[in-house]
Amino acid sequence: MSDKPHQNLAVIGHVDHGKSTMVGRLLFETGSVPEHVIEQYREEAEEKGKGGFEFAYVMDNLAEERERGVTIDIAHQEFDTDEFYFTIVDCPGHRDFVKNMITGASQADNAVLVVAADDGVQPQTQEHVFLARTLGIDELIVAVNKMDLVDYEESRYDQTVEEVKELLQQVRFDTDNASFIPTSAFEGDNVSETSENTSWYDGETLLEALNSLPEPQPPTDAPLRLPIQDVYTISGIGTVPVGRIETGTMSPGDDVSFQPSDVGGEVKTVEMHHEEVPQAGPGDNVGFNVRGIGKDDIRRGDVCGPADDAPSVAETFQAQVVVMQHPSVITAGYTPVFHAHTAQVACTIESIDKKIDPSSGDVAEEDPDFIQSGDAAVVTVRPQKPLSIEPSSEIPELGSFAVRDMGQTIAAGKVLSVDER
Amino acid sequence: MGKVAVKLKIMPEDPEVDLDALQERLEGSLPEGAKIQGFERDDVAFGLVALLPTVVVPDDAGGSEAVEEAFGGVEGVESIAVESQGRL
Repeated sequence: MSDKPHQNLAVIGHVDHGKSTMVGRLLFETGSVPEHVIEQYREEAEEKGKGGFEFAYVMDNLAEERERGVTIDIAHQEFDTDEFYFTIVDCPGHRDFVKNMITGASQADNAVLVVAADDGVQPQTQEHVFLARTLGIDELIVAVNKMDLVDYEESRYDQTVEEVKELLQQVRFDTDNASFIPTSAFEGDNVSETSENTSWYDGETLLEALNSLPEPQPPTDAPLRLPIQDVYTISGIGTVPVGRIETGTMSPGDDVSFQPSDVGGEVKTVEMHHEEVPQAGPGDNVGFNVRGIGKDDIRRGDVCGPADDAPSVAETFQAQVVVMQHPSVITAGYTPVFHAHTAQVACTIESIDKKIDPSSGDVAEEDPDFIQSGDAAVVTVRPQKPLSIEPSSEIPELGSFAVRDMGQTIAAGKVLSVDER
Repeated sequence: MGKVAVKLKIMPEDPEVDLDALQERLEGSLPEGAKIQGFERDDVAFGLVALLPTVVVPDDAGGSEAVEEAFGGVEGVESIAVESQGRL
């Protein structure tokens, strides 16, 4: 199973549009439901002397098993197709989980957007699509779900596809990179087998579309970027910064620089899982030590990178944001806290440069006076303390952020360009 | 509204922190409405071991913030980071 290439797959969309059922259906169709759950079904069906609907039973019991913590990693589910080994995440619906999507470790490689044909695009659909874009997802599979509830009518499918295409334009998502599939996760239409109920559709099934995804490339070739989570003093070793490598690699002997603290030196040893390693790469949690660096020289929120290609430190940066919730309006001068990698820095929105028209994706207004919930905009941001951040087009892993204020996630965004100090 | 499992990564203040005791203190600090569904441990480097509790919270206002704040006040905790999350 694990010798196939790995894909992190996010399932996004409105919570009531059948996301969990779709996850369950994928597990069911790929034979990834634990054997004992299927066995349990057979036993109960035999005892009661009736067959019943196997998939519905499995759905109920899977959820229960996960809540009881029977499976080891309850935040993820796994299945494999002919081409890939998938780890699948059913994204939470509430906005307050958005920060975790941006700062968490397991960033999605690709996403399945679930939109119910009987309900169309909803605000949460919009938020999730924007987040997918922010998190650097380039390929989107759109499951137009609950087709059974609209009698498998082609016109309802077409209508939903048009709504989603408008939404994709708004966040500048190339609609050529999205594929659309009419599905019913509950009935199993077009998930693993072409459905007779949608004879007007001749495209791929969901599993075929998943199989045709491009293989994810770990960002090994990018320059090293290692956001520092903590800094320790370990007796006999000295100063040990700890963090997760986002891009590039680190080896003993490398000449590194910490920004924005602006200190550097030569890496002496790199440890992972308590063992010294000759090299560590993307996704690895490491501790290391650097010649000549003291505990007070560096801090959480610093980013470690090569001395000759040091992490960018922003005087200001321009970003595309989507406002998710704000009680009033956002104007120039607003200073909330930006969460980017391991850094939390108060930043002032210095100017609101453009407001984006939701229906066309074009600039609706230059230099608007304010933006509010639901708006997409381009803004210029000035960090109040030095902040290392990168253009999303160059290093997406270091180019996204969540904006928080009053205990809420106000907005999320990605960096378009950095004006370095 | 459903429930969300959030896996957190908790780094101790130093390698000497008693992880069993820390685990108990974390369990004792949980805010109402949240529960811990198992602890993992991850050997990091130079004797440092991270605690990785999976916390189940409602898919609702506040996200995992209340838990992160509560854990942040527990003795022996250096930092808290979100590792991964997903709906149950």
